[in-house]
Amino acid sequence: MNRPFRILLRHVLLMLLAAIWLTPIFWLVVTSFGTDSGPNIRSFFPADYTLAHYEALLFGTDSVSQFPQWFLNTLIVAVFTCLISTAFVLMVAYAMSCMRFPARKPMMNIAIILNLFPGFLSMIAVYFILKEVGLTNSLTGLTIIYSAGSGMGYLIAKGFFDTISRSLREAAYLEGANEFTVFWRIILPLSKPIVVYTVINTFLMPWMDFVFASIMMNSGVASEKTVALGLFSMVDKVNRNRYFAQFCAGGVLVSIPISVLFIIMQKFYVEGITGGSVKG
Amino acid sequence: MGKNTSPQRRTRQQPVLLRFFAALSRFLAGAWHAFRDGDASVKLSALIWGASCFRRRQFFKGVLLCLEQLVFIALIVILSPDLIKLGSLGEVQAQRVYDPVTRRNVWNDYDNSFLILLFGVICLFLLALMIIQWLRNLRHARQTELMARKGRHIPTFAEDAANYFGRKFHRTLLTLPTLGVVCFTIIPLLVMIAIAFTNYDRNHLVPTNLFTWVGLTNFRSLVSMTSSSSFAYAFRNVLAWTLIWAVLASLSCYIIGILMAMLISHRDTRGKRFWRTCFTVAMAVPQFVSLLLVRNLFADVGIVNTLCKSCGITDWLHNIGAIPTANVIPFLTHPAWAKPMILLINIWVGVPYQMLIATGILMNIPGELLEAARIDGANAWQSFRNITMPYILFITGPSLVNSIVSNINNFNVIWLLSRDVYTTSDQLMAAAGATEVDLLVTWLYRLTQDQSNYKMASVIGILVFIVCAALTLTAFSRLTRGDREGAFQ
Repeated sequence: MNRPFRILLRHVLLMLLAAIWLTPIFWLVVTSFGTDSGPNIRSFFPADYTLAHYEALLFGTDSVSQFPQWFLNTLIVAVFTCLISTAFVLMVAYAMSCMRFPARKPMMNIAIILNLFPGFLSMIAVYFILKEVGLTNSLTGLTIIYSAGSGMGYLIAKGFFDTISRSLREAAYLEGANEFTVFWRIILPLSKPIVVYTVINTFLMPWMDFVFASIMMNSGVASEKTVALGLFSMVDKVNRNRYFAQFCAGGVLVSIPISVLFIIMQKFYVEGITGGSVKG
Repeated sequence: MGKNTSPQRRTRQQPVLLRFFAALSRFLAGAWHAFRDGDASVKLSALIWGASCFRRRQFFKGVLLCLEQLVFIALIVILSPDLIKLGSLGEVQAQRVYDPVTRRNVWNDYDNSFLILLFGVICLFLLALMIIQWLRNLRHARQTELMARKGRHIPTFAEDAANYFGRKFHRTLLTLPTLGVVCFTIIPLLVMIAIAFTNYDRNHLVPTNLFTWVGLTNFRSLVSMTSSSSFAYAFRNVLAWTLIWAVLASLSCYIIGILMAMLISHRDTRGKRFWRTCFTVAMAVPQFVSLLLVRNLFADVGIVNTLCKSCGITDWLHNIGAIPTANVIPFLTHPAWAKPMILLINIWVGVPYQMLIATGILMNIPGELLEAARIDGANAWQSFRNITMPYILFITGPSLVNSIVSNINNFNVIWLLSRDVYTTSDQLMAAAGATEVDLLVTWLYRLTQDQSNYKMASVIGILVFIVCAALTLTAFSRLTRGDREGAFQ
């Protein structure tokens, strides 16, 4: 085989793969613009196009569809989760990476052990605890379950901090800086990729999560749902035929900001992961 | 690291439990010696925590210590009724009783087994914490006494406080995150583990009913088959599928992800960024959207079935006997079809992420290595086999174990694809609340949400832990690579 042919083959293969990966997404988009309100099962492309589903989703709220409210709920939870979790993750990562104290190794081992339990198991008891204090079906409760245990996700950030030269810190100590100054003025400014990575990850959590939200928000009141719960309720057995196109429209609307975030941050993301998690 | 690595290595050889008990006995002995050898104020601080501090003129610290002691005692006293009932988990059944004053039926002062368990566990936790603090304080008081004897400077409160941004900064950093983990992970986990040893199920739902300890009965019903329970049967099937799923799902995503990353990173590929973005978009659509979408694509009355029918694929499959009913390919509704389909869909969902990680690693392969190989006359296959592959394996090998563990707990894919879609025709499975495509974690979810069978859910949760722990331990030497963390600094 000659070289131009191989290059061509390579690109054909890539196109094929990209088609496999993008076809469902493409179908999501065209269906959201289609005239059918249920799932289109006759043909790949809808018979005709309309913006009605987007209009219904954004302005015509009813007992099932409350998309603007869901979006707002999720945004609020996401912002607070992001703030708390990012702080927790970076704090724990710094303590575990840059400081030495007797409880360090035991705590790291405990974190490994706790991560081996299915997160869902403790969530059942957390539900009863939050119910006791009246925080189920509230955004506060949801924020708590997303951010309370987030300190255990410190490993990737720690791995990143580990790669920052120790001599930098030592020079700062000699200048009379205390640990806080080193953390705030030296380590954090040098760790932009991992900070961005952590911020994205924690911000996306409430948008992506379905399980924990479904346990905590079980009242069934449409206006209390997050985007994930709400969109799921649109495709259950009862609502599927009326709301499927709206589900697609909602999926598109949620995916756009997330995709943009992903693509812009792709560089940071790759740097963040590879700088931190994977080191032989 | 250098000098001090060898003694560390030697202690590492001892079993974890042994080291733990050695440290514990050192801690207890230290506190006892402090009490025995200390002066009157140290001895008094065993009773009143701040006593020694007042003697050393650390008034503020003394007040804080006394306050801490008071808070501990108050909390434990408040929770002690539950602690006392922990042995029986409550005996007063909830019922309506006639209240002669209001002339109405009102609820009696009943016991809530779950709350007794919860607050009992919290109380035990606080007790342990208080004892630790108490002993630490004794040792600390003795140390301060010795410092005072030698005429050394006793730190003032301001100096102590400043320490929390210096030498003790880790405490400042870790307090809140640890509190979060303790309250919302550790205590709930302890409660759920305890529930595995009770009979908390649909017939013993709080608050109207009580549940109580039953020992190992629940674990026994998982291993031995009885006429009334098919849990043992369901457990075998679910566990087998969970393990098969975890290995296949991890390996498939891993291999395909690396291959795709290599395809894109190759120097002949034009528009690398564009291709990468194509796959990243698929990853950026939230899983619940993409999975619910795919599940509708492949539904029995779905677009793919329609297309297959019109191309004649459905008829052909029916003719060769691959599908039980004419006209419909049961992509997600028949066990023989659903399992491979779920694995394929998981590849679709999981590969972009793997690809992104592998891309980052490929970029970091020392270019001079590949260059040298090329100059030496190695062809593409040779340099892949001898440089690229070992390099990737070396770096990502440990993460493969992690990914198997996380696939054992991969709730989303299975649940979103099978909920409301897949119903089992196996009576024994259905009786245990499981289906053929369930993983242990989704089974756990079904048991709690559909059947309120908390006792079995907890048992399964513990077993998931055991499976994951066994897997991780076998890869333990790889996972303790934290030992080498200093090498990069």
